[in-house]
Amino acid sequence: MLEVLGFEFFRNALVAGALASVACGVIGTYVVVRRMVAISGGISHAAFGGIGLGYFLGIDPLIGATGFTVATALGMGALQLRAKQQMDTIIGAVWAAGMALGILFVYLTPGFAPDLFSYLFGNILLVPRGDILMMAILVVIIVTVVALFYLELQAITFDPDYAAVMNLPVERLSLLLLVLIALTVVMLIRVVGIILVIALLTLPAAISRLYTTRIWSMMVGAVVLGISFTMAGMWLSYLLDVPSGATIILVSTLAYAGSLGIERLRLGD
Amino acid sequence: MSAPVIEVEDLWVRLRGQTVLEGVNLAVHPDDFYAIIGPNGGGKTTLLRAILGLLTPCRGEIRILGSKDAAMRRHLGYVPQFRTFDFQYPITVREMVLSGRLGHITRRPRRYGTEDHARVDEALETMHITDLAERQIQNLSGGEQQRAIIARALAGDPKVLLLDEPTVYVDVPTEVQFYGILDRLRDRMAVVFVTHDIGVLPGLVTKVACLNRRLYTHDTNEVTPDMLEAAYHCPVDLIAHGVPHRVFPEHSEEG
Repeated sequence: MLEVLGFEFFRNALVAGALASVACGVIGTYVVVRRMVAISGGISHAAFGGIGLGYFLGIDPLIGATGFTVATALGMGALQLRAKQQMDTIIGAVWAAGMALGILFVYLTPGFAPDLFSYLFGNILLVPRGDILMMAILVVIIVTVVALFYLELQAITFDPDYAAVMNLPVERLSLLLLVLIALTVVMLIRVVGIILVIALLTLPAAISRLYTTRIWSMMVGAVVLGISFTMAGMWLSYLLDVPSGATIILVSTLAYAGSLGIERLRLGD
Repeated sequence: MSAPVIEVEDLWVRLRGQTVLEGVNLAVHPDDFYAIIGPNGGGKTTLLRAILGLLTPCRGEIRILGSKDAAMRRHLGYVPQFRTFDFQYPITVREMVLSGRLGHITRRPRRYGTEDHARVDEALETMHITDLAERQIQNLSGGEQQRAIIARALAGDPKVLLLDEPTVYVDVPTEVQFYGILDRLRDRMAVVFVTHDIGVLPGLVTKVACLNRRLYTHDTNEVTPDMLEAAYHCPVDLIAHGVPHRVFPEHSEEG
């Protein structure tokens, strides 16, 4: 096991996994407590449209994905404030349309899209140095914004009506949270891929919630769990020679199932 | 009489094509303990939400302490319906009560100061939940959760407490205790509560109004049969059953 640490790509992968876990733990906490799993799924799948656009325009697909997911998040946020009833249908539509746009863009791009598969399912072992730098910048942005707006984000995710009575800018804060989700999704694409993003965003936070009583402690727990799952997943995928993204997700899902089982036993005596 | 805390003038609200409130006028004074009763769907919650600025009326004016400024809402203590709460949310009683101070914080980024913590300690003390402060709200009984929600409203040092169906989900002993708490608060602030259950009107109510799209007011704590008839559009004896007699005028002839 330890000899692989000698490879730069593996050290990069460890750093990428840790950075992704920090973003996931912090933002995933809000996704779980505010029940925004569906909208996050919509945002992450819409990212494929941005990947396709990136190929089409000949720019870094991740830059295309960043622009596209942030725009989608803002659009969905604006719709959510105005069309609450049809929201789950709208999410479904955006979800599918994002994927469809991605496919069209890739089809229209001359030549072969070499690492398309890695955007869908992730390949943490292929994360280049430049992406690590971008991930680190995103983590700093996410953590700083959450630290600055901790009380506001707590208020709007716990009781948005009361936050409005307290004269907080609830709409702008909700959009801010959606943008943070979009940025987190972009970071996760490299690690586990578009299809699997939602699991890493929600499972560590969902497990952490069972054992914590505050937002910040839930975040810390989720970050620690996320790092453990990505490390365990990478180690297993190395041992068994299977895809890393899928292994990370299966490790997380098993841990979630296990923690739910333990919780049931504990509550049911 | 002192100036009103809340003034509602000719308020009209339409929601999804339906007129929910029609020409509502209401004045709440500092020493009022106001009960607004009415059937489900009569617009009680809508009226509260309009006062709180959570929805925009299509006509009319709402003034808090004589001003229409949105920042004046920090003087309102809102106690929402119990069932709208997500008690699973990872938040402690203290954090939740502290959030009642957010309207008073002017510095950015928003952080709680000594004044905020002092007010919160006071509110926890008033509601007798100081020893529960570090517990997650999920791990409280229904009555304790109710008190924590009121403590949050009190932390904002409100001039008026607005309660939406406060007793629906609590049992009778808790309810008695609950009115005892409100009785202690009334010399510090006005109290307005809405309920569909006129059986719960406590003796401490000083004014009653009936709401069913229009608001029928009566400047005493008595519910008259014609108010009820107007508000409920049905024979009074049907709903008057079980109402404590003190609520009714002596001379009332039911039905």
